[in-house]
Amino acid sequence: MKNSSTNFLSLANIYQTMSKRVAIDIGGGFTDLFAIDEETGEIAWSKDETTPANYSEGVMRVFSKSGVDPSTVSSLLHGQTLVINTIITRRGSKVGLITTKGFRDVILITRSNRRDIYNLRYRKPASFVPRHLIREVDERVGYDGTVLKPLNEGDVEAATKSLVSLGVQSIAVCYINSYANQSNEARSKELIVRVLENMGVRPYVSVSSEITGEWREYERTSTTVLNAYVHPQMDNYLRNLEEILRRKGVRGELFMMLSSGGVSTFRYAADYPILSIESGPAAGVVGAITIGELLGIKNIIALDGGSTTTKASLVEELMPRVLTDYYVERDQFNAGYPVKVPVIDIVEVGNGGGSIAWIDETGSMRVGPASAGADPGPACYGRGGQKPTLTDAYLITGIINPNYFLGGALRLDIHLAKKAMGELAERLDMTVDETAFGVVRLGNDNASQVIRRISIERGYDPRDFTIVAFGGSGPMFASFIAEELEVGNVIIPSIPPGVFSAWGLLMTDLRHDFVKTSVTRLDHPQAIERVANTYSELEVRARGIQHNGGKKGDIVLARYADMRYYGQEHVLKVGVPNGEVDRQLIEELERRFHENHYKYYSFKLDSPIEIVNYHVVALLKVRKPILKLLPREDTSVSKAFKGEREAYLDAKRGWVRVEVYERGRLPPGATLKGPMIVEDPTSTAIVLPGQKISVDQYGNLHVRKGGE
Amino acid sequence: MPDLIEMEIVKNSLIAIAEEMFTVTAKTSKSPIIYDVLDFSTGLTDAEGDVVSQATGIPLFIGMLDFNAKAPLDKFGKDGLQPGDVIIVNDPYISGTHLNDVAIVAPFFHKDELLAIGVNKGHYYDIGGMVFGSWGPKGSEVYHEGILIPPVKLYEENRLNKDVLDLLLENSRLPSYVLGDIEAQTASMKLAERRLKALVSKYGLDTVKANMDKIQRDGETVAWNRIKMLPKGVFRAEDYYDDSGVSEDPMKLTVKVEIDDDKFDVDLSGNPPAVRAAINTTYPATVAAVRIVYAAVLDPHVRYCQGFVKPLRITIPENTVFNAKKPYPVGIYWETMTYAADLVWKALAPYIPDRLTAGHFLSVVAETIAGINPRNGEAFALVEPNPGGWGAGYDKDGESALVSFADGETFITSIEVIEQRYPIIVERYQLNTEDGVGHGEFRGGFGIVKDYRLLADAEFTTAVNRSKFPPWGVNGGLPGTYNYMLIIKSDGSETRVRKVSGERLKAGDLVSIRTAGGGGWGDPRKRDPEKVREDVMEGYITVDDAKRIYRVVLRENLEIDWEATGWERSQPSP
Repeated sequence: MKNSSTNFLSLANIYQTMSKRVAIDIGGGFTDLFAIDEETGEIAWSKDETTPANYSEGVMRVFSKSGVDPSTVSSLLHGQTLVINTIITRRGSKVGLITTKGFRDVILITRSNRRDIYNLRYRKPASFVPRHLIREVDERVGYDGTVLKPLNEGDVEAATKSLVSLGVQSIAVCYINSYANQSNEARSKELIVRVLENMGVRPYVSVSSEITGEWREYERTSTTVLNAYVHPQMDNYLRNLEEILRRKGVRGELFMMLSSGGVSTFRYAADYPILSIESGPAAGVVGAITIGELLGIKNIIALDGGSTTTKASLVEELMPRVLTDYYVERDQFNAGYPVKVPVIDIVEVGNGGGSIAWIDETGSMRVGPASAGADPGPACYGRGGQKPTLTDAYLITGIINPNYFLGGALRLDIHLAKKAMGELAERLDMTVDETAFGVVRLGNDNASQVIRRISIERGYDPRDFTIVAFGGSGPMFASFIAEELEVGNVIIPSIPPGVFSAWGLLMTDLRHDFVKTSVTRLDHPQAIERVANTYSELEVRARGIQHNGGKKGDIVLARYADMRYYGQEHVLKVGVPNGEVDRQLIEELERRFHENHYKYYSFKLDSPIEIVNYHVVALLKVRKPILKLLPREDTSVSKAFKGEREAYLDAKRGWVRVEVYERGRLPPGATLKGPMIVEDPTSTAIVLPGQKISVDQYGNLHVRKGGE
Repeated sequence: MPDLIEMEIVKNSLIAIAEEMFTVTAKTSKSPIIYDVLDFSTGLTDAEGDVVSQATGIPLFIGMLDFNAKAPLDKFGKDGLQPGDVIIVNDPYISGTHLNDVAIVAPFFHKDELLAIGVNKGHYYDIGGMVFGSWGPKGSEVYHEGILIPPVKLYEENRLNKDVLDLLLENSRLPSYVLGDIEAQTASMKLAERRLKALVSKYGLDTVKANMDKIQRDGETVAWNRIKMLPKGVFRAEDYYDDSGVSEDPMKLTVKVEIDDDKFDVDLSGNPPAVRAAINTTYPATVAAVRIVYAAVLDPHVRYCQGFVKPLRITIPENTVFNAKKPYPVGIYWETMTYAADLVWKALAPYIPDRLTAGHFLSVVAETIAGINPRNGEAFALVEPNPGGWGAGYDKDGESALVSFADGETFITSIEVIEQRYPIIVERYQLNTEDGVGHGEFRGGFGIVKDYRLLADAEFTTAVNRSKFPPWGVNGGLPGTYNYMLIIKSDGSETRVRKVSGERLKAGDLVSIRTAGGGGWGDPRKRDPEKVREDVMEGYITVDDAKRIYRVVLRENLEIDWEATGWERSQPSP
């Protein structure tokens, strides 16, 4: 047996040399790496194409490209799109489902809604489990958690054997009312694992009450089945990746980004892959929060402008809104599949640089949601795209520099852009320039609608927030939106937009969410006791993440409650004070709920209040590397000045001459008045007339009102 | 020339307002039928009461938003409406449906000028009348079905008319639900008013008004473009309703549809007179139902507005079951109203296969189970629609367990929510493979079986159709199966029912809801044998069904015996 003190010493030695935090974000098109040295603040990044056939390959490629020595990695944080892509491309595993007797068809019945209401040939979303792979077992739990019928263990064993004989690779278990008592599900898992191990089959078992503690059998079944669907893929991928990383010499800890904005260990992520379904977008929001923390700004709207979509998320007091109301493949006309796991509330619209401008049959001009994608891409790419896009409009209006797109890697052809836009202009009886600026305005309006939805429609005034704009087109929308919604400050981070999500990953705390549905009226005589007990039960589980995380440090627990007026159904998430649950705490909770209800819906009621879901978040705070201060050498306003060009920024004024600056050469503290354009190799920021710009010590740009 | 770009932005904002009205109602309501089932709709009309925008919800209600906006206009006149007024109305003869469906309507002004009207129409649990839940098959005049509310001002210039509210609350068995719904619906009006004000102050009154006009003009243009693409001619259909309301004799119903480049006319002449039974439907409800099929046939993805439905002309003689007048009762109007739409659908389906399927289960299959909940001593009422089987298309099998055409983004209540909220245990919730479907080259979808074991005494009401005349098939596809319910008493006695009014059931009794399978499309013997095999594998049909109906012979290991199948299929039909 090893001497524990020696062990401790050798660990300490290792930690001295292991100073690099590395983030790897696998996106649909590219895999990004971003590394930061915790001691020196030195950063490095690299980018390469994603390799869907074997994701680890792309990961190792960015690793060697970045020059980061694997043995110096103290921790590696990983974001990926493997989960969502496996689901969307239907490349998951063959799933079998075990459910309560009498309820075989819950997943086929769904909630029976016809989302495309006038389409009498509507198609429901097809089940991820065919009916012949659904087995019923004798067991029943009541609404209050009472076991009405004990589990028939023989049924579970027989079901498992028969599913495996039909080629099932992954088993999902969801019983009626298991949110109120998980014992039958837990026992079933033990039995299934034992049977599978005896058969020599790797046990992939997803159990509903482990994944979501919320009620509604269809939603819980759907969540569990989707977890099962990607379970073997994610497990194999992470095992493989871990093995390769270790072989290359990575000794640090490995973490996965979750959709909730936190991270977990690889092991946990492999068992509950559905928790990282929105891993990538969540990282961007975390990045925006970090910028806020750094600058002392607490209320933020994260605006991520991509090439096909614009996403926005609201952050209040540096906490993202985390909801369990996510759907896969739901849109205006399709019901999609519910996934009841914590996901940062991100609202998305099909609007980005590749969005196509078109005229509908009533003669109205529209932008998106169809996109030219990367191939053929916008007309100006010269890859055969014939349709005018938002990027073409930016080029025609002088906003983008044709010779400096992706740092000059792709030369844009303005003639092709004008030709494509010309056809639209002719039909609208407008000039090409007017049409192009019209497309820019509609693109901006699409983006500001997203921000309205997350702010105004939820009772928040966007004027109380700072927009942090990233992604390729975020910095182009931001100034227009600021003007439209009277937002006082827009920050365009100094981290290049292409690796912003990867950078956000580095800033993420270890986070786990624990949610339990247990309806409690606050005016009930035993309310205090029940609230206290439920939180204490969740908090005991939450402290357990220390073992899961395998990492020392202070766990910060935060309580939330999903609450409603007695009789209502929909709930509002309210922050709950820490500390002993007593009369005073309950009163404070009631006060907060009334206040929130008024804020969201502009009225409050006299009714009693209920807690529906108890929610505890466990955060293991990581040490945040400091964003390196902008180097002061070789920067000055005159060195940054690149010249002037004509740009069309305003319907009334038409073309105006604007100054153009190179972003990287603007010194900290510089303040300049719009209109102007600030370029760097990966993005373009616009400053409108009446706006001014300043550069902070980290190199972030701040766009504010004032100027002229 | 108007700024095209600005017009587009304002149009999007008008849609966003209607959607936000919907969200705020769902999120604040206290009635499961509103917040969970989403049995309501919201919309904005122009100053004339013509619909400009609406949220996705119940298509039936969307089709009658205009009648509800026009009701206060007709009564008070534009001059009689003031900023801050909120009107409440449920008069079925002018606003549609039955007394349970209550609309909150508010005029929105810019200075003194009426700019728009907001409408929010939803199902109230109980509005008085002879049975718990108000609606039921038994009434013989409208006075039996609850309190009739003509357009009255609930708020006058922002002042609550408490007398009106008290009167309504005192007439309901579930006053707290009524109050909650009124509050939620009114909140949506306040919100719409604020959003409209902001829109006008940003873009100006003229732009907003011009936009509303443009929406109507554009809607009409699109509608005519689509009508020109439809097959032309005169199309007829007839069908039978299970009973005449006053006797068990079936009631024959008929329609004539005429489509040409310049017309889309629906003629419901020749149908039976209104009866002293709750099956009658009123003019607005019949119109709204036909509008759904019209929209489906023209283009389901065009945003609904008044201009879009303007080309549709509907003839419905007065005092018939499709256009009843006071005091003819209308409690279960929807079971008749659905036929108005289904007849048009049936007449057109073979000619417009890319838009229409074979017949679906049609009935809303609603029931009320109400009483006192022993867990807390409070009154409860479970009221819900049920999903059923849809018809096959020319290229697809019918969908299983989907809400009826009159319902849309309507959610069937979760079993776990039902058990938590009501003294009921759900013993099973499955696809109805026992009764089956309409077979065909493409087969219908399956209905459901849902068994409720009562844990307390309760009053039970239901009314379903297509219990005797199943969903129709197309082109040789077979008809579907039947909607019905079984009441199985704790003594074991079993009764098949389709219309029940306030029957008293005991704790321990079981209500089994069975919905129909949809109609088939094409000859079953032309069905791809692989699909037949798959249906056997999935447990939808038996090996015997495969041979008997589809003439597909399966071996013991469920492989297709191609030779035997070929022989079977070459035999003449019996």
